[in-house]
Amino acid sequence: MSRVIVVTSGKGGVGKTTTTANLGMALAKRGRKVIVIDADFGLRNLDLLLGLENRVVYTAVDVLAGQCRLEQALVKDKRYPTLMLLPAAQNRTKDAVKPDQMKQLVNALTKAFNYVLVDCPAGIEMGFQNAIVAAKEALIVTTPEIAAVRDADRVIGLLEANNIKQVRLIINRLRPAMVQANDMMSVADVQEILAIPLIGVVPDDERVIVSTNKGEPLVLSEIPSLAGTAFDNIARRLEGETVEFMDLSVPNDGLLTRLRKMFSTKLF
Amino acid sequence: MTSDTSVPASASTISDVAPEIAPIVLDLEGNASTEATPEAPAEGLQERDLQVRLKSEGGKLLLMLPPEMETEAENPASSLTWSEVLQQLKQRLNAGERLWLADTSVHLIARDRLLDGRQLQAIADALTDAQLRLTRVYTSRRQTAVAAATTGYSVEQQSSIAQLNPSGESAQAMEEPLYLQTTLRSGGDVRHDGTVIILGDLNPGSSVVATGDILIWGRLRGTAHAGAKGNAQCLIMALQMEPNQIRIADFVARAPENPPAQHYPEVAYVAPQGTIRIARALEFSRAQAVGDRK
Repeated sequence: MSRVIVVTSGKGGVGKTTTTANLGMALAKRGRKVIVIDADFGLRNLDLLLGLENRVVYTAVDVLAGQCRLEQALVKDKRYPTLMLLPAAQNRTKDAVKPDQMKQLVNALTKAFNYVLVDCPAGIEMGFQNAIVAAKEALIVTTPEIAAVRDADRVIGLLEANNIKQVRLIINRLRPAMVQANDMMSVADVQEILAIPLIGVVPDDERVIVSTNKGEPLVLSEIPSLAGTAFDNIARRLEGETVEFMDLSVPNDGLLTRLRKMFSTKLF
Repeated sequence: MTSDTSVPASASTISDVAPEIAPIVLDLEGNASTEATPEAPAEGLQERDLQVRLKSEGGKLLLMLPPEMETEAENPASSLTWSEVLQQLKQRLNAGERLWLADTSVHLIARDRLLDGRQLQAIADALTDAQLRLTRVYTSRRQTAVAAATTGYSVEQQSSIAQLNPSGESAQAMEEPLYLQTTLRSGGDVRHDGTVIILGDLNPGSSVVATGDILIWGRLRGTAHAGAKGNAQCLIMALQMEPNQIRIADFVARAPENPPAQHYPEVAYVAPQGTIRIARALEFSRAQAVGDRK
């Protein structure tokens, strides 16, 4: 039985695509058959983050237009072959696809994969409706900012109205030092408003930007990072494991942080 | 004497500077008050504000859809689209689920709304999810009647709009209270011609507009407008009052800049001098008992 999970947020730029790429990769690393679907027609990014841009031949719209078979459009990952990508069309807009068609597409994929991860576009219009139509579960990505939390709240309401009951929260780009100084919303503050179960907290990390630009999700990195570990943990929790939440409080001496910063600047 | 009568001098000064919306001002006892703003929107509830409604009557449920505004058909902002109607229906069903017995029959009152077979099916499916059964359709549109008959519901076609929509312009008693058990999230919007009772939180970005009182058994962090047709006697009550903005009749108040450290169940009301005040629920009811209000 495969699980269809939509990754959504309402607001743009909070890390939906990064989360989808990393979770897909982390699950594939654990031997699961994973398909990640880019539902952001017209503004596709997921192929970039996975470093698969140059392998895209057909897109989801080509499949729906009958120009190719579904299998032809799937792009196999170069590192973990159990991870596949269904790319979005870049030359069309979100209105090119209807929810019914999207549902058909996802249902055709559920047979062959353990996980179907749908990367939802920002907003709550047609693209959002397309992305959630076939999903049974949802991961809400938000950053600890009021605008992102407000939009996430709206999206949770819409998901509930669309009968998606299993909704879990990922708080992305948390900066523990700022939380400690009372300059940023804490995990508890966000949870107080959204009131849905938390599945992971990802600290803000410059290396995410580097990994994005290189097309190598952070969970693949040899050098362990807090953000990468956080994504790994979320994947394990999705699998039903109980994993303790990481201690993200700021170390008193700050030596480790400084060392890591020095290290990463030298490398890149 | 209750503590909610002393207005600090600063209250009027602040409202002079910013006359558009006065802040609720905390007085010495921790109660809040504000200056009135005559510009407050008191347009009340109009026909275009009608929402999906469920009303029980004689052992069955009536499901009333908001009318389609034909005169402004080219302006999508003036009436709800089909997907918005369906979504509102689902939210209302979720919020009242345990109030109905399973297998209750539902009569759909579609008024002048045009529904095709697929849309009727979507309504029936949503009702089935809540263990309700669509049995009968009332409509004034021939196409809707045909679609409903084809799908196998008994149909009653009424040509007169007035017959379907008896609420004239004359003064009328309010509807029965609307009871919802739900968290109203950002974007959630409840409008009701009567009193609204919500068991759950009002999150920031949500709004409730009622012509009667508003009772929130939870946290009020959105916008609440009681007495929307102009009744300043209406009240807003919440277990935890942290609103963005509250309105009673045509008075508006916004939250104080510095929220109180501790929260008690509170009541917002319009004081005789024309300001919205907030008092602790306990003290408010005591004051009311001795006839201090008015």
